[in-house]
Amino acid sequence: MRLLVEFIISILSSIGFGVITNIPKRALLPAGITGGVSWCAYWLISLQDHSLVLPNFTATVIIGLLGNYFAIRHRVPVNTIYIPSLVSLVPGGIAYLGARSFTMGKAASAAQQIYNVILIAMALAVGFVVAEVIFKAIRPFLIRLIAKLPEVQTKSQK
Amino acid sequence: MSQPDTEEILEVCGKVGEILLNAGAETSRIETTVEYIGHAAGARVACYATITAVFVSLENESRTRLIKSSLGGFNLQKVDELNQLSREFVAHKITFSDLEREVARIERQVINFPWWARILGAGWVSVAPMLLFKATNGDLAWAFFVGIFGYLGAEFVGRRTTTPYFKEATGAFVVAILAELLMNIGWGDSAGNIIISALMPLVPGVAITNAIREILSRQIISGIVRTVDAVFVAGAIGSGVVIAIVLTQVLGGR
Repeated sequence: MRLLVEFIISILSSIGFGVITNIPKRALLPAGITGGVSWCAYWLISLQDHSLVLPNFTATVIIGLLGNYFAIRHRVPVNTIYIPSLVSLVPGGIAYLGARSFTMGKAASAAQQIYNVILIAMALAVGFVVAEVIFKAIRPFLIRLIAKLPEVQTKSQK
Repeated sequence: MSQPDTEEILEVCGKVGEILLNAGAETSRIETTVEYIGHAAGARVACYATITAVFVSLENESRTRLIKSSLGGFNLQKVDELNQLSREFVAHKITFSDLEREVARIERQVINFPWWARILGAGWVSVAPMLLFKATNGDLAWAFFVGIFGYLGAEFVGRRTTTPYFKEATGAFVVAILAELLMNIGWGDSAGNIIISALMPLVPGVAITNAIREILSRQIISGIVRTVDAVFVAGAIGSGVVIAIVLTQVLGGR
């Protein structure tokens, strides 16, 4: 039940960010699904493992794989799926907290928060690299698979 | 079909690079797209892109086009349209004059979602999954509306001033002032949670992650520029919030 709520809210978040950053209409739903699935993975893993690295890493590996898949299927640049689906994972909130602690002169918590920002950003970026390596290996197989699937809309209406 | 001369090719390639740069595409994508188009049009084009400039040059001549730009926002729809256009052109589905006309159209066109969609979008981004079941449901509901006002404030100011970082600071200020107001009325449970949640449309999280991705793919200059920019955006947001909090404390007489 709780998983469902998390899933829906994260889908809405991703679609919302997609609208703000103007991604093509046909990429909205794929981006939302990618964001939702990766957030659920993050949430499930963070129940078991309380560190910052593993949940973020796993979530971006999933974004990388799903994002590349949807990018081929719907013929959109892969960044249009990455950016919206990342919105719930990226360390923006902590970056703000770090900047705030910094302005208010709380050196210790500022250092901790900025350290966390770098750690999360690294985990996310390494997750993408790993996903892209995996994806290159399975790409020919996927393209054959996609050719068998029913056609989807690959062009926005003018 | 008459063969386009190198002058025209350079012109179109430069324009493509300029649009992509202003729409926030990655530098490697700009370089490959421009070079593909150039090669398909029959000229040996070399392109070098950094985050603030694109150079397009013909390899066997001395002519070069230099396009400057400042760090801008994202308009991924333009990236996508140009991407499709270049793919069609490389596959020889459209002619060079078609390409020229379409590029000019994309450059002029303001591609945006309607306002109501963007307002709703900003609202939903403001309900951060990160805070689900940590903040109270009431706070998250407030964050939905506060986030909308923060986004609108930032957009409103962003259209009227070109001062960098002022847009983000204003958005953060609006968010924090509204959150503190809700606290003082007694409707909100935690101003801190509302603020963090409602700041989601403004914070530079994506910029930070993109920066590290660029560095990992050896686009070191772009990566560093993006990182520094993200740090300053975070600083602007932090100061916007701090100013709002201090102001409410002074006015509230606490």
